[in-house]
Amino acid sequence: MTESPGIQNGIRLETVIPNGAASLESILRTEELLGRRSRLPDHEKENSALAALVGALADSPRTILQTLSDKVLDVLEADSAGLSLLTKDNKRFYWAAIAGAWQPHAGGGTPRDFGPCGDVLDRNVPMLFTHWERRYPYLGAALPLAEEGLLVPFLVKGRSVGTIWAIAHNGQRKFDREDLRLLESMGRFASAAYQTVESIEDLKVEIAAREKAESELRELAGSLEAQVTARTEDLEQRNRQLADARALLAEEKLQLERSEAFLARAQGLSRTGSWHLSLRTGTIAWSRELATILGFESESESASDPLFLQRIHPEDRFRVDQIRSAAITERKDYDVEYRLCLPGVIKHVHAVGNYSASDSGDPEYIGAVMDITERKRAEEDLRRSEAFLAQAQRLSRTGSFSWRVATDEIACSAELHRIFALDTPAPVTLEAIRARIHPEDMHLIDAMILHARADARDFEYEPTLQMPDGSIKYLHLIAHGVRDHDGRLEYIGSVQDVTQRRLSEDALAKARTDLAHVSRVSSLGVLTASIAHEVNQPLSGIVTNASTCLRMLGADPPNVEGARETARRTIRDGNRASEVISRLRSLFANKGAATESVDLNEATREVIALSSSRLQRDRAILRTELADDLPPVSGDRVQLQQVILNLLQNALDAMSTVDDRPRQLVVRTERDEGDRVRLTVQDAGVGFGPQVGERLFEAFYTTKSDGMGIGLSVSRAIIERHRGRLWAAPNDGPGAAVAFSIPCVAGDGAGRNREGIISAPVLADAERVMRSL
Amino acid sequence: MALRSLVSIVDDDESVRESLPDLLTELGFAVEAFASAEAFLASDCIGRTSCLLLDIAMPGMKGPDLQRELTLRRQAIPIVYITACRGDAVRPQLLENGAVQCLFKPFSDTALREALDSALNVN
Repeated sequence: MTESPGIQNGIRLETVIPNGAASLESILRTEELLGRRSRLPDHEKENSALAALVGALADSPRTILQTLSDKVLDVLEADSAGLSLLTKDNKRFYWAAIAGAWQPHAGGGTPRDFGPCGDVLDRNVPMLFTHWERRYPYLGAALPLAEEGLLVPFLVKGRSVGTIWAIAHNGQRKFDREDLRLLESMGRFASAAYQTVESIEDLKVEIAAREKAESELRELAGSLEAQVTARTEDLEQRNRQLADARALLAEEKLQLERSEAFLARAQGLSRTGSWHLSLRTGTIAWSRELATILGFESESESASDPLFLQRIHPEDRFRVDQIRSAAITERKDYDVEYRLCLPGVIKHVHAVGNYSASDSGDPEYIGAVMDITERKRAEEDLRRSEAFLAQAQRLSRTGSFSWRVATDEIACSAELHRIFALDTPAPVTLEAIRARIHPEDMHLIDAMILHARADARDFEYEPTLQMPDGSIKYLHLIAHGVRDHDGRLEYIGSVQDVTQRRLSEDALAKARTDLAHVSRVSSLGVLTASIAHEVNQPLSGIVTNASTCLRMLGADPPNVEGARETARRTIRDGNRASEVISRLRSLFANKGAATESVDLNEATREVIALSSSRLQRDRAILRTELADDLPPVSGDRVQLQQVILNLLQNALDAMSTVDDRPRQLVVRTERDEGDRVRLTVQDAGVGFGPQVGERLFEAFYTTKSDGMGIGLSVSRAIIERHRGRLWAAPNDGPGAAVAFSIPCVAGDGAGRNREGIISAPVLADAERVMRSL
Repeated sequence: MALRSLVSIVDDDESVRESLPDLLTELGFAVEAFASAEAFLASDCIGRTSCLLLDIAMPGMKGPDLQRELTLRRQAIPIVYITACRGDAVRPQLLENGAVQCLFKPFSDTALREALDSALNVN
């Protein structure tokens, strides 16, 4: 007897039946049926059905039960019809034959003591049920559902052995007394037919057994000896086979044990438990790991659905049960995440159930439960740290980005979106970024992008943004270029909004400039005072002597000798005054430089590095053309750097009002003729007219509205002390070039210091002034 | 002829110490010249000096230091400062502290004469 795919779904008995299951009386409609108006009997149809059954009994008794089902379906105009028979152990009914919609359930069945068939047999009367799955939920899996089910006992030799039934799946069809009469009538016929079939079958079995026994007897008698020999051999072979089979079995058992151990280990490592559920028997099995996940001592608790449900977090329990029940009803797979509530701990799990039929065709579910608590926690941590990062970026006004150069894919943090005031949902493009750049910075940014595309490099810029509302933002951008495994270039960087800092820096720089100007002026004042003191002393003598001389000559008689003496002293004081002047000149013109070997390229690079902030602020594009083979020069490194700095600053000053062309600045070093080295600073600034020429280098001459006119004259003095030359020339285009040329070999020590002649305070003042300039 | 008033000069500049006494003699004064404030203080001229021509900036004791010292010694000698440093801020300060006049080098004989006159009249 088979009990394959069908309804017997005992497993659900403990789990699915709700506590408030419907009572038997509530699903019975028998009394109502007796009160329903009967339709007119169709004797013709009934007779033809019985005739068909008789024909079937004669022609093919083995299919009599199926034919009966077909005819019941036909005569009662039911949707499904069939015959349930008690199994020999009296524990279950099995559906021996089914016609109509339930045909696919043939072979299924119901428990003896918990189902409609059992109820009919208990009371031994016909019964009409409606929606029996309300009381017997396992019947909910037998689709389509039964709107009405009419059952009559099936009696064989006065003993109930099953039921005959007809089902209406549609509310339109209502069974009535005529249907009951027909069913009972066909039941009686079926009873007779069943007995006949049973007798015929019994007889056949008896005859076959007798024939077989006789033939065996004949064979035995005929070849007893041969049989004994054959049997012995057979037995020996079987013994060998048995031994082989045993060995094989042992080997298989070993392998099975091993793979089970592996599986248990793997489940433990992956925190994944598995389960198996047979829909036919309702038995459920858990892997050891599943028991562990559910918080049970692995062997002490036997697996069961209530135990499992009890572990599910109360808030999730209903949802999980619904999803699972729905899946089982429709024989579908399911996939659900929920929480487990174990003593003192909440776990997150991911559960899957997979419907399949076993080798023997039994419906079953195999599933897995993964403990994803760690993953959930990691996800939570990740969410939290992402929130922290966003907060930190917000507070520090720093956004981050990545830029894939080949595809121009740009990923930005939320703070960067905010800094650039970009629409968050729209993908960020290079164009969207460029649109925010201040027009004056555009060429800088384009140059930067061009450089960045060429090769992986690190760069740092201070671009200025012009926002849609017209406001200005100053940014500090740092990017790091990397290549991935495939050599694709990507930049990762950060952008800080330094507007506030920049504004205060600007204010500070202005204050510094003002201060420097004041200190330059005051230093110059000190120097002037010193010079005046030195010159006024002899002048004072001259004036006094001349006055005395006049008085002596005007006396009566004139004191000629005294007058001559005072005139001599006047001449001497005049010479002294002249000497003071020449001493001052020698201080500026002939002060010997502290000589050392200076790499002019390196000195230039240092000055450029010192000026980089100003270069960026002035939006100047600097090009350096430093000769590779430049020989060192002999001189005072600091003084030479002052000159270079002075030339650079003059160039920047000259370009400060230039807005109609790039503020191009070139610093070039090269060998000059006659073992000399030349440095040129070329700007694209306002330049100077031909009439200015040499006057540029006069002290206190300036073309600037706020300049002192000291820089170039001091620069020339320094260069001349290095036995070099400093000159300026207008460019062919806009702007000018200022260059100096100095010998690259050590000098002969000409122009030695004569500072000792001049009084110490003057020298100290002069040096201080020189430094401040 | 009445006893000529003594004018003392304190100046570290030699050309001043050479030229000024002759002019003062021509103007009718007796003259003593000193190269430093310390030398003047060490001399016996303090009590006899009618007017002091005093340089401001000198090595060692400065002009105003000498003025303070004389005040401490209760020697009320009229002082005319002579200086090669043209500082507009210095002059009012000196006058406020009791100097009769402050002459900037080089000065004319007329300016010197007027300063001495006013100093001696005060006396």
